[in-house]
Formats: sequence, structure tokens, C-alpha cells
Amino acid sequence: METLLDLWAGYGSTVTFASVNAFFALSTYAVLSTGVLSFTTVVFAAVGGFLSAQMAGKFGVPLWAAFPMAALGGGFAAAVVAGAFLRLESHWMALASLALVLITRVTALNTPLLTGGVNGLIVPLRVEPLELALLLALCALVFWRLHRSWYGLAARAVREDAAVASTMGISPYRVQFAAFLISGVVGGLGGAALAFTLQFISPETYFIGIAFTMIASTVLGGSFHWLGPIVGAAVFTALPTAMQAIVPQIEDVAKGVVLLLIMIFLPRGLIDPRAWGLRRAARLREENERRQQAAERDAHA
Amino acid sequence: MQLFVEQLINGWALGSLYALFGIGFGLVFSTLGILNAAHGTYASWAAIAGYYAVDRFGVPFPVAVAAGVVGGGLLAVVVDQIGFQPLRAKKTGMLGALITSIAFWIILDSLAGFATGQQSLAFPATSYPNQMVVLGPLRVPQMQIITILALLVCTVGIYLLIQKTRIGAAMRAVGWNEVAAALGGVNARMVILLTAFLAGATSGLAGVLGGISTSNVSFTLGEGLMLKGFAAVVVGGYDDVRGTAIAGICLGVIEVFVAQYISTSFRDGFTYLLLLAFLIARPRGLFGSANFVRA
Repeated sequence: METLLDLWAGYGSTVTFASVNAFFALSTYAVLSTGVLSFTTVVFAAVGGFLSAQMAGKFGVPLWAAFPMAALGGGFAAAVVAGAFLRLESHWMALASLALVLITRVTALNTPLLTGGVNGLIVPLRVEPLELALLLALCALVFWRLHRSWYGLAARAVREDAAVASTMGISPYRVQFAAFLISGVVGGLGGAALAFTLQFISPETYFIGIAFTMIASTVLGGSFHWLGPIVGAAVFTALPTAMQAIVPQIEDVAKGVVLLLIMIFLPRGLIDPRAWGLRRAARLREENERRQQAAERDAHA
Repeated sequence: MQLFVEQLINGWALGSLYALFGIGFGLVFSTLGILNAAHGTYASWAAIAGYYAVDRFGVPFPVAVAAGVVGGGLLAVVVDQIGFQPLRAKKTGMLGALITSIAFWIILDSLAGFATGQQSLAFPATSYPNQMVVLGPLRVPQMQIITILALLVCTVGIYLLIQKTRIGAAMRAVGWNEVAAALGGVNARMVILLTAFLAGATSGLAGVLGGISTSNVSFTLGEGLMLKGFAAVVVGGYDDVRGTAIAGICLGVIEVFVAQYISTSFRDGFTYLLLLAFLIARPRGLFGSANFVRA
């Protein structure tokens, strides 16, 4: 028991940050699963984070009410962004969303009334790791249901080929719009989770760093299954800690090298439903062959 | 009036740096289809290479610049061959290369931190032309003139290379469709290597010149150039170097003027607002071709 507590004291924060990053990764996955590469999760996180922090700080809103507000705020921001951006082609979309992240920081810096400006905001509430885990589990449940629903099927179709999907009567615009709303809600939750974990946020909190962490987590874990982003976030968050334990001098370099190796050798990510399918098919084929050979031997005898 | 013209030249020189960097970034994006997050580190490393050439070997100014340019180009080729080449066969699209470029960004940034001892170095004042040129009532630093001329030469050179030569035609063909280009007799591998080198060298030039004129040789140099260079590429249209050059100069001038006449706190905001406006209203940029489609 003692060792368990020690372990928690040492690595508890890693677990907490892994779950926060899992929200961001899930939010990225939500749009990526319909074929849109977007960095706007950072924007939704900033909206959710600052909104919930201000609600808690200025109006004394309790934790259980602050999270839904953050989700709503993120969702609303997502609706606005989707309306403006969905007309763009995929490359432009990625560039535009990156530009929006840059703009968000400048806006946050210059609206001290809402965000505290350069000085940032102190957040009076704290979220417990268990509560965070429950919220993440709830999100995962929703993603699991979505994956198996009509929407999940439509999303995969749009991702593979939007033109084909639209000939099947699926509107790519509506599916991608829905994906943005989901991304906004989850991103807003993640932003609030980050605010209540750090207990201090500033415009620098929601910037390029998060954008690259979430994209790396999603692709690392696998962007073809909802479990991928969660696993990816855990791995990507644990990497620096692990590297610090092994090679403290060059932890950043080692983190980059590991990311590079995983990407080169497992380009579809750690969780890859197609690889499972291929493996199952190979096993079935082997079994069939064995059965056939046995049947032939029986026939000869 | 004198202040106005001086600030105009300041902004022009600053914008030339953004444009030089952006040309490299845009070349990679339009020809190789890679959104390269590691591109800023090429500039940082080029500046570091130039600095150490001066510091250790006491080379004259042109040699230091050449060291940075070649260094940036070679680094770009190495990154391309290790990070992007293995993914080309696997058809992971823009996403896979984005992740490996993030990996290289992390690696090269932290190595750059070691190389400069986690601080910002400055070129010794005697190692580069640091006199003022007197033009009538104006006094202009020599480095600004060099930067402005460098952009002019690079833009014209690369524009002619891409539009008028066989190599340029091959580069455009690979940018359009690598497989089709290979079927047409283009050695795609060579074109990719050449493009990577050219992109790294141009951004490296921006890095060395920027490192000298801002007296800041560290990993933050590349990050600053990256954000503004990115804006220049998008506003200018990423498949045309003329657009990047003009957009870069405009962004530099606007930045200096906003800081001078409105407020320093709106300096970056204005640039990014312009960027967003262009993305939504005219996504192909100033000079971008209307029928640009990537299969």
C-alpha cells in the first residue's frame, strides 16, 4: 500500500495530465474521423477554460455546473468556426485553423477583462483525478456509442471518400458540422479540465503546445478508433516522464526520437482496427488451410 | 516624413526576412505537400552554423552566410530523408509527415538549446557590415540593404527556376502528382532532394541574416520567423514565390507601422487578422492559381 501511495505521489500528476490531454486528443479525433485536420481544438479549449474559470472565480459557480458551461461554450465556438471554415478545402482548412490558434492567443492577451490578459487568471476550484477519470469515461462511452451508430458509419464514409458518401445520400457538410460540434464540446471540457488542474491559466496556456500535443497524441494512438486518442494521450504524456527517468540529460531529444520511430514504423497508430482485422483474417485463413489439409489427409486414408 | 521613410525601410527589411523564410516553407508545402513544423529550426540552425563559423574560424561575412545557407539546406535534406521519405511509400498523407516534422521540431529545438548554451548569442559587431549608408537625409544600416537585396535576388532566381527551366517544370510536376511525374520521366527522388535543399537553404539565409540583424542566435529565432513566414505564405498564395515575397514585405511594413502609429500590443494581432481574412475571403492568396487541386 505504501509503495502504491509513493507511486501515486510520483506519477499522479502524469496520470492527471494524461486524462486532460485525452480530452484534447478526443476532440481532434472527432473532426479527424470525418477527414478534417483542424487545430481549432485549442480555440475551443481556450473558450471553455476561460469561461469556466471566470464563472468559478467571479460568480462562484460549482465544479459540476462549470463543466457543462465550458462544454456549451466550446460547442458554440465550434458552430461559429465550422460555419466559416467548412467551405475551405482540406489544406486551407488546416492552415486556417492554425492561424486561428495564433489569433486566439493575441485576442486573449488583449482582452484582460475576460481572460486576465498577460497576468492570467487564478482558478479557485480544483478537480480531483477521480472526477476527471469519470468525466473521461463518460466521454469515451459517448464516442463508443457514436462509433457504432449511423453517424459513425457516415463519418467513416465521408473520411474515406466524401464524393462517394454524398452519392449514398450522406451530406458531408452536415456530418462534418456535427463532428465540429462534438469536437467543440469535448475541447471545451478539456479546456476546463486543464484550468481546474493547473489552477492558473493565461493566454500562453492555450497555444501551439497543446495543438501539437493533441495532434501527436491522436496520430500516435491511432485515428481510426476512439480508443486511439486516449491511449495516445497516455503514451505521449508518459513519454517525457519515462525519458526523464532513463536519460534525464536529453529527455526532449529522446521524446522526439521515440515519436519519430513510432510514426515511421506504425504510421496508422498504436490502436489500428484494420491491423486487428487483417490479423483475424490471417488467423482464419490459417485455420481453414489446416482444416482442409486435415480433410485431404482423411480422404487419402 | 523622414521617420515615415525610415520606418518604411525598417519594415521592408523585416518583411524581407519573413518572405525569405516563407519562400522555403512554401516550396516544401507546394512541391512536397508537407506542412513542416520543423522548418523554423532550419533557420535557427543556419544562424548557429554561421555564428560558430565566425566564432571558431573567424571567417569573413560572406563565408559565414554561405555556411548558414549550406547548413540549412543539408539539414533540410537530412530531415526529409529520415523523417519524410519512409512515409512516402506508406501513403500517410499530410498527417504522418506533420507528426514526424513535430518530432524533428522537438529534437532540433532542444539540440539548438544545447548548442547555444540555452541563451541568445549575438554575432560580434566586427564580423558583419555594420556601417550606416547615407542616402540624402536618411541613414540606413548596411544589413537592411543586404537583406532587401537578398530577397530580391532569391525571389527572381527561384521564380525563374520554377517557371522557366526544366528542373522547375519537374518540380511543379512532382507537386501536382508524384506518380504521374515519375511516369513522365521525372526523377522524383532527385526533385524531392533538390526541393528540400533549396527550401532549407532559403530559410537558412533568412535565419543567418535575421540572426545577425536582430542579434539573436537561439532557437527562438526560428519560431518567430516561422509564425510570420507562415502568414506570408498563406497571404501570398503558397504556389507562387512572387506572392510570398510581396506578402512578406507588406506584413513587415504593416507590423512596423502598427507598432509605430497605433500600438505595439496590436502588432501581431493585425498580422494574424489579415491572415484569417485572406483565408476566408481569398484562400488561394494574392497570386495563387485558381485551379490548384491536390489529388
